Formats: sequence, structure tokens, C-alpha cells
Amino acid sequence: MIASVDLIEVVLALCLVTAALFCLFDRHLLRACSFFVAFTLCMALAWLTLAAPWLALMEGIIGALLTTPCFFYALGVFTPASEKLPSHDHFKEPLSRGVMRTLLALAWCLMVGAVVRFIFPAMVYSPTEHPLLLAGVVMVAAAMGAFAWHRHLVRRLLAFNVLGSGVFLLLAGLAGTDPQGQALITTALVVAWLGSLLGALVIRRLYRLEGENALLGSRGLKETRQ
Amino acid sequence: MNWRFGLTGSTFDPLMTSHWALAAALLLPLVFGALAAIFPPRRMWPVALACAVILTAGIFLLIDTRQAGVLRWQWEFSGIGVALRLNGVSMLLLLLTQWLGAAAALYTPGLLRISDPERFARWLWPLMGAVISALSLAWVATDLLTLYIALETMGLAAVAMLLLSGQADALLAGMRYLLLTLVGSLAYLLGVALILGYWGRLDLAGLAEVVEPGPVAWVAAALMGAGLALKAALFPLHAWLSPVHSSAWTPVSALHAGLVVKASLFVLLELWSILLFETFWAPRVIAWMGMLAVVWGGLIAWRAESLKTLVASSTVAQLGYLMVVFPLLLGPDISPLARALAWDGFWLQLMGHALAKAAMFMAAGNLILATGEKTLEGLAGTSRRLPLSLLVFGVASVTLMGLPPSAGFTAKWLLLQSMVISGQWWAVAALLVGTLLTAAYIFRFFRYSFMETAPRHRYQPLAPGMDVIALGLALAAFALGLLAHFPLDLLHGGSA
Repeated sequence: MIASVDLIEVVLALCLVTAALFCLFDRHLLRACSFFVAFTLCMALAWLTLAAPWLALMEGIIGALLTTPCFFYALGVFTPASEKLPSHDHFKEPLSRGVMRTLLALAWCLMVGAVVRFIFPAMVYSPTEHPLLLAGVVMVAAAMGAFAWHRHLVRRLLAFNVLGSGVFLLLAGLAGTDPQGQALITTALVVAWLGSLLGALVIRRLYRLEGENALLGSRGLKETRQ
Repeated sequence: MNWRFGLTGSTFDPLMTSHWALAAALLLPLVFGALAAIFPPRRMWPVALACAVILTAGIFLLIDTRQAGVLRWQWEFSGIGVALRLNGVSMLLLLLTQWLGAAAALYTPGLLRISDPERFARWLWPLMGAVISALSLAWVATDLLTLYIALETMGLAAVAMLLLSGQADALLAGMRYLLLTLVGSLAYLLGVALILGYWGRLDLAGLAEVVEPGPVAWVAAALMGAGLALKAALFPLHAWLSPVHSSAWTPVSALHAGLVVKASLFVLLELWSILLFETFWAPRVIAWMGMLAVVWGGLIAWRAESLKTLVASSTVAQLGYLMVVFPLLLGPDISPLARALAWDGFWLQLMGHALAKAAMFMAAGNLILATGEKTLEGLAGTSRRLPLSLLVFGVASVTLMGLPPSAGFTAKWLLLQSMVISGQWWAVAALLVGTLLTAAYIFRFFRYSFMETAPRHRYQPLAPGMDVIALGLALAAFALGLLAHFPLDLLHGGSA
């Protein structure tokens, strides 16, 4: 079984997971967003190895050229220095709440994992032979965890994008990359881009209206007002 | 069940005019919306002209659907199939969307003219167009890919539209909703992936033939259900509704509460009728959540301090009624008569609520705009100066409370009958409690508005037509109860 695993795929899967983890857990926001660029490029290569050049092209265009600028815009890279977001997210979630949320995320992942395991024979690419799909599972789990732990809106938006890519890889594993699957993934890529664009616009506006604490959700806003 | 959605059964080819009418119904809202972004209309007549074209297309489709029963379209582009259909239900919902959309669009120029100039007002038009196009597509689509495109376009455009006028609280609530709905859309996508991987097809008509109950169908249904529940703001996930609605523009709220939340429910019912037909637990869970929603939404609306919160929380409760009906539509051991009654009642309730809630949001918007007050206490004594707006609110609340002869009454009558036949006493109790709570929060508002001792306000005059449009919608909801046989004929016509 191991022999059938392509070395390029293993390297690519490792790159993907590493980029995803840095992107999700780096508190320096600009660096995290830069890792997201690397991540999308790895995703494009992953689609090439899964024999879906169209998806690779779309991932390159939508992911790297359209979605990433949204994040940089949200961080205020294109605006004068006074309007930039603070470079780090210093917020730490209380441990009990974090553990609670992680457990919820884990439960969700277990459910999805059980499903994938259950219809294993029907999977087009099997995870043990395609490390990319394994990377997809790890990415989904990590992104769910990050989504649960972080309160900073930019980081949650990043987590959503990584989660999306993980789900796309799972989709490719479940359904293959036939035209219908590719159409679904292309649509989902466009949706993720539009969602990120909308999110970035809202984040900028919130920051202008209420300052830094507004980016930590409604509790952050309440703390500022008191 | 599938014949009810027009998925099976033979049909004639659509007429030539129907092809054009369908294209017009799906694309023109987008085109006109984009045009309006470039040349924002300041008067009502250009909007009326644009709406007239779309409404005419709807009438053409109605005539053809009545004759043929079900209309189907199918195309294939390089291996990707697109399937659309128009039957009684989808035709009714398409008409509802077009008329409600037209009312909201006609209301907008007046609102923008008399309120303070807003930076993003221009963007309202294309987003509204996108929402109406996407809704129309959601009613007619019968394959999972087209449904996904329609739902996502609708969801994103609706959030953007709600947040255009947003202040910080609304933006935060909206942002939370945006993130949740995006994650929800991934859950939906995973469900679709399961179906595509296991059965290898995405068209609902084909799936209806091959799907057999089993863990795959259950899990796919659960994933898709979770995604759609997130979008529809079904009960435990409704918290963002009231902060967002309290600062959103009136026509936007009307469209959202009237139609957008219903689309996810429609798709949920359509998909579950294929994947989960005659299962016991899943519809029950929805119904229990619905009961909680009826009570919780009613209580929140009853304790609400601001008028918009009252109206928005009432949406949560009213959606609860629709959720309570799920076991009757999908559950096992339901007699055909009870199921048919529940089916009629469900759509009548949905339509009545859409019209009444849109009218109510407009009336509330008019009251708030005219007085400059948002709270119930601030609105005390409005009966003297704004009788027409208050009348609209009253007529709309007759439908919400389900008093005869409104659509709400007819719908609840049908639903109660069906619940009694099939012995669903919990659902009956939920319906009655909900009605009492509705009456409680509506009359609480009226008690304030008829206070004679309240100080006089300085009133801002409304633009002409703003009250008339709202009154038209409220009366339509009222008349739908008296003339219920027209929509019901259409609902049954699709099955002949």
C-alpha cells in the first residue's frame, strides 16, 4: 500500500497541512494571511495531482488572486498606517470555554469521520492511498478547532477558508473530480470568495466604527462600552 | 410525496412563450437591479415599469402551468445537468416572490427620498435584484447544484442587503451570521458530496428513484438539514435576527422575513421528502424545535421594547408553526387526508405569513420613520396622527393571529384539522399557545398606540404610496383567506 503512494503527493500533503496550521494558529495576522497564499498555491498543485486542471486554475485565480486581497484589505494593508488593524491577536479564551468548544468541534469531526469511514468502499480516492485526502481530514479538524478557539473575526474568516478547502478535498475523495464534482467545487470557491469579500468589508467597517475590541465579537464590544 | 413537488409524472413541452417568460423571470431582476445601481431611480414609475415586465412574465408562466400541470426544462452542459420545473407549489411561490419583490421595490424610492441620504443606498438595488432572481431559481431548481447556487446567492445577497445600513451591533450580529451560514453551506456541500459519491447523480427526479433509506441518506439529510437550518434562522439559531432587523432598511426586512427564510424551509422539505420520507425521528426533532420556537419567539416578542424586535421575534414564532407541521408531511402512519390537509395548510400559512409579515415590517417602518421613535413606549399615541399605518399593522396582525377570514385562519384551520385527525395533540397545543402569545404581543403594542395621554410628537410626513403599498400587502394576506380556493386549486392542479 505504501509503495503505491506517490512521493509528490506526500510532500504536497505535508506542505498543505503545515501551511494550514501556520495560517490557523499564527497570532501575527499578516503572517497568517501570507501563509494563506502559500496554502492556496498548494491547493492548486493538489488539484493538479488529482487530475483536475480546471480546479487548479480556479483555485489559483479565485483563491490566490481574489480571496487573499480580501484578507489584506481587512487587515488594512492598502490603507494609511493609522487605519491598520493591530498586528497581533492577543486575545486568550478562558480554558474551560475553549475546551468546551474544542470538544464540540471534535464531536463534529468524529461524526464526519464516521460517515467517511462508513461509505469507505464508495470513495473514489481512498485516503490511505491518497495522502491529500488525509490532509483534507486533518485540515477540517484543525480548522474546526481554530473556529472554536478564536474570536478574532479575521482569524475566523481564515479558519472558514481552510475548512472549506478541507471539505473540497473530502468532496473530491467522496465523489471524484468528474464534471459535476468540479462544478460543485467551483461554485463553492466563488461562494467562499464572495463570503470573504463581504466579511472583509464588514470587518473594516466595524473597525472604523468601534475600534479594536469590536473585532472580538459582541462580548468585546460590550467590554469597550462599559 | 414526490409528485407533490412535481418531480415525477409526465408533462407537455413548455410553450415557446414560457421559455422566454422563464428567462425573464430569472434574469430580469438581476439586470434591472444592475441598471438601477448605475441610474438610481428617484421616482416610483421607472420601478413600476420594470416590475410590470417581470410580473407579466409571471402571468405567462402561470397560464402555461395551469394548462400543463407541470413544466420541465432540462439542459446539459459538458456533463453538468441543469433541471428546472414549475408545478403548482413552485408557481405559487414564484408569483409570491415577484409580487412581494415588486412591492418592496416600489416602496424603496419613497423611503430613500424622505430619509437621510445613505452612503450605500445605491447598492440596495442590485442586491435586491439578486435576492429575487435567486429566490425564483430556488423555487424552480430540481438539481442539487442549481439549488446550491440559488441558495448561496440568495444567502450572501440577503446578508449584504441587511448589513448595508448597519450600525456596530447589527454588523457584529450579521458577521456572526455570515460566518455561521458559510460554515452551514459547507455542511450542505458535504451532504451533496455524500449523495454524489454514493448515488452518482444530482438531479432530484433521478435521486427520488434510486435513494433508499439507510445511514447514507440519513447522514446526508442531517448535514443538509443543518446547513439549511442555519440559513433559515430556525429556532436555536435565530439570535442574530432582531439586532440585524432593527437597523436594516424596511423593504429589506420585508423581503428577508417574508421570503428568504422560507426558501431554506422549502428546500429542506423538498430534500427531506426524498431522503427521509416516512422516517420517524427527523421530522419530530424539527417539530419539537418548532414548538420551542413558537413559545420562545412569542415570549421574546411579548417582552420586546422596540417595535422592530417585536416584529422580528414574531417571525421566529411564526416559522415555528411551519416546523410543527413537518411530522404530518414527512412522518410515517399519516392518513392521506391528513397529509393533504397539512400540505395545503403549510403553503397557505407560508404565503399568508409572507404577505402579512412584509406588510407589518412596512407598517412598523412607516411608524418609526414618521415618529423617529423605535420603542413601543415612544410610539405611544400614534393612533391620532398615523391611523393608516396603524390600520395596516392591524390588518396584518389579524393574519398573524389567525382570526377569520384571513389566510392565517384558513391555514390554521386546515392544520388543526390535520393534527386532530392524526392525533398530534402536542402540535395542537403549540398552535393554540402560539395564537394566544401572538394576540398578547400584538395587543401590547396596540395598548401603547392608543394611549391618549402621550405627549405629541413632531411627525415626518411619509412619501405617497408608502402606506398604500403596505395596505395592499396586508389586504392581500387578508383576502387570501377568503379566496383560498385559487391557490389551493393551483396546488392540486400540479398533481392531476
